[in-house]
Amino acid sequence: MITPVELTALIRRALPDAHVEISDRTGTHDHYDVKVISKGFAGLAPLDRHRLVYKALDEALKDGRLHAIELTTQTPDVM
Amino acid sequence: MNEDLKARIQDEIENHKILVYGKGTKDAPRCGFTMETIAFFNQLGYPFEVVDVLEDMPKRQALSEITDWPTLPKVFINGTFYGDTDILEPMLERGELQPLLESTFKTPAR
Repeated sequence: MITPVELTALIRRALPDAHVEISDRTGTHDHYDVKVISKGFAGLAPLDRHRLVYKALDEALKDGRLHAIELTTQTPDVM
Repeated sequence: MNEDLKARIQDEIENHKILVYGKGTKDAPRCGFTMETIAFFNQLGYPFEVVDVLEDMPKRQALSEITDWPTLPKVFINGTFYGDTDILEPMLERGELQPLLESTFKTPAR
């Protein structure tokens, strides 16, 4: 299990400007809907945006605290 | 990485126009995300294959290395990696997925 606060902190290590919205998908604290808005995504294809977030969450995915996320990525300009 | 395993995966990818590596089978998915991916492709109406890798850790590891993508399911269309439905759903909404599938199914299997 991982808390939304911890998740946000991990994402901001890779993307310090990230605005992160998280909702718990299953109520079990290991499957989340995660939306990340960051300038760091500019110029990146969707696959690479997601790779960037997954790399930031690597530790939590590997040690099992996090099972899966449904991920949405955006740059601030499309808001 | 085990080269033999990698070659077998490459073969699998090239022999299915739509290939989903997931947890569980089409009839009995064992993960909510795999289930969603199956529903997604059922709704699109093109034939697709689901390969269950839940218990096959060496294959999961090899797949993650090939794709640089840590989670399941993993979707390949026409031999190219497309991530999961987080990538494919927006593609469908933007009208990019249908033309890709149409052209994929026009050409004979490699």
